[in-house]
Amino acid sequence: MSNLFSGINARLRGASSKQANKSPVSPTSEDGRLNSPGGLPHRSKSSSNLSSKLPPLPTSPALSQTISTTSTGDEVLSSYRLPQPLPLWLNPAYAKHIVRGNFMTLSSRPKAVDLGEWMAHQVVEHYRNLWNFVHVVYAKEVNGSNICNATTCPRMSAGPNHSYTWLNKKGDGYERVELPAIEYITLMQRWISGKIDDTNIFPTDPASVSFSHNPNVANTALLNSPDEWVGKRSGFPKDFASICKTIFLQMFRVYAHLYWSHYVEPFYHLNLEKQLNSCFSHFVLTATALNLITPQELEPMQALVDLWAANGTFPPESKAYEYANLKAGNRLLQMGGMA
Amino acid sequence: MDNQGNRLYLNFGNNNDRLAATDRSTYPTTPSTFPQPVFQGQSANPGGAQQPQAHQQGYTSAGYFQPSANHFGAQYPSQLAPQASDYSSAGQGYGQARSTTPGANNDPNTGLAHQFSHQNLGGAGRASPYGARGASPGQRPRTAGAQGQQAGYSSYLNAPPMPTQTAQADYFAPAPERNPDKYGPNANNNQKKCSQLASDFFKDSVKRARERNQRQSELEQKLAETTDPRRRESIWATGGRREGSYLRFLRTKDKPENYNTIKIIGKGAFGEVKLVQKKSDGKVYAMKSLIKTEMFKKDQLAHVRAERDILAESDSPWVVKLYTTFQDANFLYMLMEFLPGGDLMTMLIKYEIFSEDITRFYIAEIVLAIEAVHKLGFIHRDIKPDNILLDRGGHVKLTDFGLSTGFHKLHDNNYYQQLLQGKSNKPRDNRNSIAIDQINLTVSNRSQINDWRRSRRLMAYSTVGTPDYIAPEIFTGHGYSFDCDWWSLGTIMFECLVGWPPFCAEDSHDTYRKIVNWRQSLYFPDDIQLGVEAENLIRSLICNSENRLGRGGAHEIKNHAFFRGVEFDSLRRIRAPFEPRLTSNIDTTYFPTDEIDQTDNATLLKAAQARNGAGGASPQEESPEMSLPFIGYTFKRFDNNFR
Repeated sequence: MSNLFSGINARLRGASSKQANKSPVSPTSEDGRLNSPGGLPHRSKSSSNLSSKLPPLPTSPALSQTISTTSTGDEVLSSYRLPQPLPLWLNPAYAKHIVRGNFMTLSSRPKAVDLGEWMAHQVVEHYRNLWNFVHVVYAKEVNGSNICNATTCPRMSAGPNHSYTWLNKKGDGYERVELPAIEYITLMQRWISGKIDDTNIFPTDPASVSFSHNPNVANTALLNSPDEWVGKRSGFPKDFASICKTIFLQMFRVYAHLYWSHYVEPFYHLNLEKQLNSCFSHFVLTATALNLITPQELEPMQALVDLWAANGTFPPESKAYEYANLKAGNRLLQMGGMA
Repeated sequence: MDNQGNRLYLNFGNNNDRLAATDRSTYPTTPSTFPQPVFQGQSANPGGAQQPQAHQQGYTSAGYFQPSANHFGAQYPSQLAPQASDYSSAGQGYGQARSTTPGANNDPNTGLAHQFSHQNLGGAGRASPYGARGASPGQRPRTAGAQGQQAGYSSYLNAPPMPTQTAQADYFAPAPERNPDKYGPNANNNQKKCSQLASDFFKDSVKRARERNQRQSELEQKLAETTDPRRRESIWATGGRREGSYLRFLRTKDKPENYNTIKIIGKGAFGEVKLVQKKSDGKVYAMKSLIKTEMFKKDQLAHVRAERDILAESDSPWVVKLYTTFQDANFLYMLMEFLPGGDLMTMLIKYEIFSEDITRFYIAEIVLAIEAVHKLGFIHRDIKPDNILLDRGGHVKLTDFGLSTGFHKLHDNNYYQQLLQGKSNKPRDNRNSIAIDQINLTVSNRSQINDWRRSRRLMAYSTVGTPDYIAPEIFTGHGYSFDCDWWSLGTIMFECLVGWPPFCAEDSHDTYRKIVNWRQSLYFPDDIQLGVEAENLIRSLICNSENRLGRGGAHEIKNHAFFRGVEFDSLRRIRAPFEPRLTSNIDTTYFPTDEIDQTDNATLLKAAQARNGAGGASPQEESPEMSLPFIGYTFKRFDNNFR
């Protein structure tokens, strides 16, 4: 299964305003993780496109000021090439949560705990959370079809600009396979649970548990080992961090698919959007705080990251906040009448 | 727009959050900043119920912008009400979405999801700040940069024709009317699971983070107390290892194979209780395993959940400690502390009656135990001698919160109505038929009572269980409250002093009738001399709910003359009248293990499955944690596993 999975690929599907510098495929990296389509989240291009869709504003003395302040946010948003109107989940009124407070309290590592142990914990927790939602779109109904099926989602996609292909090992190389989202997700689930259940990767023996190094508590024996890796002293393998990165990236893609293709059908209709928001925002905070996901990889959900930074979901001290474009986020708040 | 700081508070707006953000340098697990489930009561602006925009403000800025919010509320109707009503019908969908929520609210299973629904009025909320600012631009100074812009918007919004109302709506895809019924039963089933799991996740995570933070400050305090580098290193390493082990424990699936069974110490229709020893560290536990299909068939699910919840939440010496819960395809498992003293039922079977002093001790301890359960917000509803366990020191602990035998359908009044009206549902020939007529019971027919006593245990293990200790209001369906547990206390006290429970009868049917007609059937045998105070206390407990002692709190009972001289606060520290004499930590002397079939359920179940030719689980089959009724069942306590 790991071969089958090892080359999950991401590529950019041609959008009408496709940008020339985007190459469809990035080569497989060594750990099997592929870069998502390149591009920085904060690009601002073709700003004029969106402004024509803005509602006509009555003239008033303060208006020019308004426009000049907000147009940058519009520019940023338009550079995301989001469909118009914007998806419901970017409406601030629907970007709310079932919890309030500082989510960072849940994802910051307890000081004495080994980083590998903390990453392992987070991987498992977020995996359980995510599959809780996948389960809803998996549900077979009386007619025998899932909510997410080969007809509704013939590809694993995250909006009009991103779709992901599965890499099958074929001979010496890989064969790119386009799969219905449901099949892609199923394969991924098996791959991830295969990793999590492998005690060589996620050790369970309480005897091997270690702790974090603390320079303030003299512990010279542990200092600066030349051959150190995340979780080494707790029995995690050398490629542990990169496995965790792959898992987080894959989980991110599933979340992205759920937002882009299933936010309304079924989550909104089932009154589950706040739950989804809470789990996903917690996921983004964790993934970014632990460097398990790069800003580039967040691209399909960048606008939501922006919005959550602007509405306070992501506290200013968080990495996720750092990765966000506040102008875009505030513009979204404004559009939703919440600025 | 550069008032990011304000945004943060505006949306998350309680004072705690504000504190957290201004003090960014600190470890972010400051208790006051922990995420909290959002409840309507916290966020709704009192008094604003008629004004949607007030809700919005209440939510976004409770505390922080409170005065302004009130101001908005006051200003809004005169200024923007017409626009607002235009707006809600303008097709953006908020208004529609809202209009469907009352139905959703009636569904208890939508969980937290619906609690916001009335506040989720993007439209009205959107309008109010602008309107308010327009009305009083100078009254609420805000971040300088934002001011002009807001003024601009407000005047723009207040312009007589409102073309932008609908135009603004076009930014986002419209929110359709919520229609959960468009999906089949599976999706709605999954909806419940999903909602439950998500709220459980945050509830558990917050609880854990809180406790972790507490331990962190303890560790830092310890570090500060010494300068010895080796000592400091060891404190740090130990702390880190403990936390790490706990995390590892959290992500590790426990399974019954990790334990050796020593003996089966209890058995019932829903499962069994085994004395087990953990293979890895030799620690001894009581493991209760419950057969999922039986729980399902017998409508026990809510009760299983209730028990898990109460045990998981409590940290009381009066409640049996739950270490972890886990599950596999067939069973739910509860790993609990092993209480070697057995239960009060076994004691009563053995000693028949207690002296008044001994009774005083147990009843006083049970009072404290029931009080502890009530303080946790639970009504036990099934207090009986079987559920009163004795620890190593002979002190009382309560168990069986909601799944004890006979508890099923306790909420179902029809069930009792049928019992009361219909014929006996018990096949008589199966049991020792003992003609016990309460009125005629005297010491002379104690041999008959002994028959009853023998059948007592069979009864306890049956699915029906014994109704002997249940308060009448639970049967009659006129509602009950915490004081129903005090009735049970009265019946147990009666049994301790008299030798049998006050309404015991040949079968449950008669017992129910006697309980409901307690005024006629409560009878103190002539040949047993009870103290005046003892009898008075029993009569103050076995009476109608309105007059029952304890209705106003446990102190009413503690202050009764029967307990004169009892030091309730130190009761648990004095020596118990009966202390189990044990030869080892796996001594089961006080459990009637001879009477219990030692074949365990798992063996039987596997054999049955083999006969039915049940195939292996398909790879796509959901994990046991994900099957709806048992969601959230898995629980792991830090305490005692790693301390």
